Amino acid sequence: MATTAPEQATSRWTKEDARAARKRNAKLHRKEYVWAAAFLAPPVIGWIAFLLFPMAFSVYASFTNWNGLGAMQWIGLQNYVNLFQDPYFWKALWNTLFYMIGIPIGLALSLGLALALSRKIRGRTFFRTVYYIPVISSLAAIAILWQWAYNGDFGLVNQVLALFGIQGPNWLMDPVTAKPALVIMMVWKGLGYSMILYLAAVQAVPRSLYEAAALDGANAWKRFTKITWPMVRPVTFFLVVTNIIGGSMIFTEINIMTPTGGPQWSTASLVWYVWNKAFRNLQMGYATAMALVLGILVLIVTIIQFRLNRANNFSID
Amino acid sequence: MRRMKAAAVAATMAGALTLAACSGSSSGNASEEPDTSGGDAPNELTFMFRGGEYDKLAYEQAIASFEEETGASVTMIITDADQYATKLQAAIAGNKVPDVFYIEPGRMQGYVYANVLADLTSYVEQDVLDNIWDFGVEAYRFDKETGQARTGPLYGLPKDVGPFGFGYNTVMFEKMGIEAPDPDVPLTFDEFVDIAKQLTTDTDGDGELDQWGTGLNVQWNSQAFVWGAGGDWISEDQKTVTVDDPAFAEALQWFADLQLVEQVTPSVEPAQTLDTYQRWMAGEIGFFPVAPWDIATYNAVAEENPDTFGYDVIPYPVANAGDETATWLGSLGIAVAETSKNKDLAAQLAVYLSTDLEAQKILAENKVQIPNIKDYAFGEWIETDAPAAGWPANTEEFLQIADEYGRALPGTWTYAPEWYDEFWVGIDQVLTGQMTAADYAAQVQPNMQSKLDLAWSNAEQAKAQG
Repeated sequence: MATTAPEQATSRWTKEDARAARKRNAKLHRKEYVWAAAFLAPPVIGWIAFLLFPMAFSVYASFTNWNGLGAMQWIGLQNYVNLFQDPYFWKALWNTLFYMIGIPIGLALSLGLALALSRKIRGRTFFRTVYYIPVISSLAAIAILWQWAYNGDFGLVNQVLALFGIQGPNWLMDPVTAKPALVIMMVWKGLGYSMILYLAAVQAVPRSLYEAAALDGANAWKRFTKITWPMVRPVTFFLVVTNIIGGSMIFTEINIMTPTGGPQWSTASLVWYVWNKAFRNLQMGYATAMALVLGILVLIVTIIQFRLNRANNFSID
Repeated sequence: MRRMKAAAVAATMAGALTLAACSGSSSGNASEEPDTSGGDAPNELTFMFRGGEYDKLAYEQAIASFEEETGASVTMIITDADQYATKLQAAIAGNKVPDVFYIEPGRMQGYVYANVLADLTSYVEQDVLDNIWDFGVEAYRFDKETGQARTGPLYGLPKDVGPFGFGYNTVMFEKMGIEAPDPDVPLTFDEFVDIAKQLTTDTDGDGELDQWGTGLNVQWNSQAFVWGAGGDWISEDQKTVTVDDPAFAEALQWFADLQLVEQVTPSVEPAQTLDTYQRWMAGEIGFFPVAPWDIATYNAVAEENPDTFGYDVIPYPVANAGDETATWLGSLGIAVAETSKNKDLAAQLAVYLSTDLEAQKILAENKVQIPNIKDYAFGEWIETDAPAAGWPANTEEFLQIADEYGRALPGTWTYAPEWYDEFWVGIDQVLTGQMTAADYAAQVQPNMQSKLDLAWSNAEQAKAQG
């Protein structure tokens, strides 16, 4: 790193020169800092105003008896104590977990569809479009449509079952069938989105890997389990994480298809219960406590998923 | 500090709404939220409401006249019915309260305690009030001190009152040679079951029933039968849950037995859905509810299928001859923000919207509601306008429900309706015969009572905190 510059510098530079240079530099840096701050400010301010502040406020609200309209009354941990003793909270939590059954089913189906539609078959674009239509459709409209499809007497589902001599139940009015009925609808709704992502991932797998495996005598199943599945794993991971987060917030379908939470509360999700407490029964403090518990649970599950994913990481290099 | 708090509350509400709406985020129909804040200039007002195209049409005309008369400038904000309450609460929490807005009587108490609603008592002339349905006026009175509804200062005016009437298929009765029920004297439960049994039959001889006496949704119809038998969900002072009363259990069991014992309804499960609504319009059901908001649809069906469907209104059956018939009566109100900068003008608009004859005529003509104004309803409307517009022969029954015997749904007069919602959670066990009505009522009563107690304690809290 040594150069001749210091020698030359000692002959020319004075303390005043150094000070002036520092000043110039400082001025230059200050300008850069100002610009950096200006560029950073919008997201930081946005994050503070729309995330940190409301979150801190929510945490505070969860320790109060508050109707969402008037003043708050500090009640410490009472909301949390009540919450853990509230059978409806546990039931709503269980219902929400039950809905997650749809995630692996949906992923398996969408991967199957992606594999099928990545082949050169007739009407490929048509099928891709058809499967994607539910994704871009209004959830409220879809919920109403499925509500009719599940109608005990006139519903499409039971009419199809009747063709096979099966007398279908009144899906949304039976505590046993209401949740599975909603799961089927959610899988149908989400299929196109997962399929598109899988399709992109499947098509990105280098052909050379399949060719090499085929030369080594690997059959189709081996090629799927040893090449395709590991190669699409980042997409699977992404879909599992986002589906769990999205699934934990299920609300619209429940509120439209079973507005009272279903027979014997069989379909009420946690977010539906939060909404019900906050806006129908004016217990915003209690609802906030439930929302925070749900948020913490989702956070824990997501951290575990990231840990597991890191442990299973691999590279084709 | 108040601004900071309002901002925080608004942000939190926005977060809650986003959370609730997240699963629907891909619907692709997100639109910009309108500014609900009240007007700033002395003549500016905002009016937030929900409703269909006829509500909009009626109010557009009424507001145009109001603007012309007063020089006011009114901005209308219309929202979807299912999102209205949530949006209003978010607007209130965010200090963006519209000047004039719809309010449901059942949600009013929290708003009164939080000083959101202006006291309209001094803004409305007594003769104006006297000409509106008593129920519609009382529904918006609330006494903060005692916590009692239907008394005290006036915090709103009715946009409408909605009588939930009962009806029968006139064509079916004629075809079966059954005498039409008296439009003035209610059937007794026994008479009702007798007729329902006669109506329940296999008309095409294929060995399967294809016509039934009735098919009623328990959550919207059992009130009339329970009340008609002298039972109720709650005591007069709104402090005790009374579902464990024998009269209540007996009436509820009778209701469940329409299927379980008498078998005069299609089946248990379809009766809980809207299926029977379709069957009723398909001419397969004899007795079914008829409310003003159904009239347009029923008329269209009757016009299309005159051989199978026609209808008229009758009183709900009662347990014994001489008992008083009962049913429920809903209402939606128009309130004014306490914080409105133009409170006088806003109150004037609320009165105008509630009592404007032209607006009432548009809504009644389009079969959205019965008129609010009594002298018009009992005069010109019932005599000429209603028959001309195609309202059923015994439309007067709606007016009697509104004027004389309609009651609010249980839960309307309490701070929150959670205690009442609790009753419906396991009701299917009664309808399917897994439990008797008496056992179910005894089992659910303590839970309902504890939720009612909580509502009262929260009301006290709201009162203390303001």
